[in-house]
Amino acid sequence: MIATSGRGQIAERVRKGAAGPKAGGALGVLQRMGRVRVGDVLLKVLTGVVAGGAILAMLAILVFLLRDSWPSIVYNGWHFVTSQTWNIGSLYSTAVTHRNGATAAAGASFGILPFIVGTVLSSLIAVVLAIPLAVALALLLVEYLPAKIGDSLSFMVEMLAGIPSVVLGLWGLAVLIPWIGQSFGPFLAHWLGWIPIFKGPIGSGQGLLASGIVLTVMIVPIIAASTRDVLRQTPRETKDGALALGLTRWEVIRAVSLPWASSGIFGAVVLGLGRALGETMAVLMVSGNAANYLPHNIYSPVGTMAATIVSFLDSAMSDPTHMAVHALAEVALVLFVISVVVNVPARLLLSAAARKGGVQAQ
Amino acid sequence: MQLSVRRAAVGIALASTLGLALAGCGSTTAQTGSKPKAATTVALQETGSSLLFPLFQLWIPSYTGSHKNVTLNAASTGSGTGISDAENGTVQIGASDAYLPPNAPSGMLNIPLAISAQQIMYNVPGFNTKHLNLSGQVIAGIYTGKITNWNDSAIAKLNPGVPLPNLKIVPIHRADGSGDTFLFTQFLTKSSPSTWTPQFGTSISWPSVQGSVSATGNGGMVTALAQNKGSIAYVGISYLNQATQQGIGYAALENKAGSFVLPTQTSIQAEAAGLVSQTPANESISLIYGLGANAYPIINYEYAIVSKTQSSPQVAKAVRTFLDWAISGSGGNASSFLSQVHFQPLPSGTVTLSQKQIAEIQ
Repeated sequence: MIATSGRGQIAERVRKGAAGPKAGGALGVLQRMGRVRVGDVLLKVLTGVVAGGAILAMLAILVFLLRDSWPSIVYNGWHFVTSQTWNIGSLYSTAVTHRNGATAAAGASFGILPFIVGTVLSSLIAVVLAIPLAVALALLLVEYLPAKIGDSLSFMVEMLAGIPSVVLGLWGLAVLIPWIGQSFGPFLAHWLGWIPIFKGPIGSGQGLLASGIVLTVMIVPIIAASTRDVLRQTPRETKDGALALGLTRWEVIRAVSLPWASSGIFGAVVLGLGRALGETMAVLMVSGNAANYLPHNIYSPVGTMAATIVSFLDSAMSDPTHMAVHALAEVALVLFVISVVVNVPARLLLSAAARKGGVQAQ
Repeated sequence: MQLSVRRAAVGIALASTLGLALAGCGSTTAQTGSKPKAATTVALQETGSSLLFPLFQLWIPSYTGSHKNVTLNAASTGSGTGISDAENGTVQIGASDAYLPPNAPSGMLNIPLAISAQQIMYNVPGFNTKHLNLSGQVIAGIYTGKITNWNDSAIAKLNPGVPLPNLKIVPIHRADGSGDTFLFTQFLTKSSPSTWTPQFGTSISWPSVQGSVSATGNGGMVTALAQNKGSIAYVGISYLNQATQQGIGYAALENKAGSFVLPTQTSIQAEAAGLVSQTPANESISLIYGLGANAYPIINYEYAIVSKTQSSPQVAKAVRTFLDWAISGSGGNASSFLSQVHFQPLPSGTVTLSQKQIAEIQ
């Protein structure tokens, strides 16, 4: 009874073509091969289309941005990235300004140096603050906590990475800005005021420091999660060997884990940097959205490229010459180029670290 | 056999999904295509000014309740987007706080719907219920960084006998493109041409002033006022209640005749009365800083931006009917609607001009 039912099941599985390699005769093998071929071809075509689509989409975005920003590139030239003045011109004047064959509203000039500086500085502050926090968090998760607690905490960290940035922006606006303006800013200025960038005036709290801190909160989970994955791949044998040699846990981390994971951690940090460079909403809410001047200290209002595109888009659309919209497209183009330049090496480093982990684990 | 049956099944499944998807597309196009024919329901879409949006929200249920053959959707996108959408024909009505620039594409109409005003608000503890006197000259001085403290002699001269505090002024301006910025900078340009050299527009190149702050939206301006002691900002009249509830004060402004006036129904209508006779046939006119002893100097028409040529005669008729209703005292200009957002009705002279423009929509 049992034997027959068992055979029946096997026969059914063979018919379904889901039998293991040992089950079934020549027919089963043949059927399996046929399925495998169809599946293989299908998978190849599907992945090919999707992968090709991703590359095409990247190229399409680049082409679209280039096409849309071309009049601005012609009109502004290199001044676009070296000049500090963003002025869409007088829309209510009947006159227009012609330059290099392109037409803009009277007196228009577009310079995004303050936005480039604001974007880079706020992201750098975030990275500098996030590295120690994220690495410490990852070490805690991997090396110190028992697996069960570590796993649930890991889950929390990943949840943190998924918080919509507008929520963090709101927190920044309601809690962080008054705190910087009234307590933390004056505190920093008092104790670190001898360093020029920490010297007052502090202003309202909106600015570079607030943007940097909000971005820090945003990228710590990203860096921590990637760092945790890299640290987990540290070869057990090497660590055990080091412990056997009498090294303390901290010495093992310093001498084995961190050096082993360093390139992976670097990749994670650059990934976080890429995220910070492109963040829009949270920064829009706390940066002060300055234009036309460079930050003079760490409390100074700044504007970033991503936030500027949002805040200037509506008025740009009322420009009858359309040059203001073209100029915003060029801001997007510059941001796109910077993001690609930052992200590609990071991905390469991370995948190299993953490969190294795979080889050493074997 | 089995395999071919399975393949056929997969084929059928794929075909039916595709079919469903196609059918989905087909049905939507069929719907929009057959709309004018079936029961002649016309869908109107409005986008634009966030200041006019609350009024549209009051209008829509009332209007569509009595006009069953029309659906009307409104979206608060900002004036620039409203103008651009109306020009591209993606919406029938674009709402704008500012009239069209002289270089705007021909064939576009700007039709006043109501009268709005703007007040200058400040947060100077102890003086927020007192209505300090301010002039365009002094405000231009503040926004160009020439006047930096509330006890400056220029402010003291306007407020004899008032013990002004030694408090740093925090000028706040809009970060996003805004009709309010248009009105405010036009007021400075007209009242203080020697001090205010930046032009006027929905987004301008602000002079860099130490400690100045920017905010997004009228709500953001009110929040920034509440957060910063010593701040000054320009806010649309529909936010007056919200701001005064938070203990923020607003100024009596010096008009062209030299008297200091608060934004009240009487003073706003006095300003409008003086300028109706000067309103040209295309109704593009600045109502700012007009004559009149008791006239409040910052008021404006709120405009519907409409293309003369609509997609079909039915749509044109629906737009004309709605706009005629909106500007009539027994329809959209009834005080039951306008008083809720602190707008004032159009004077009869303007209504006549608007009716002529509405008749041009075909």
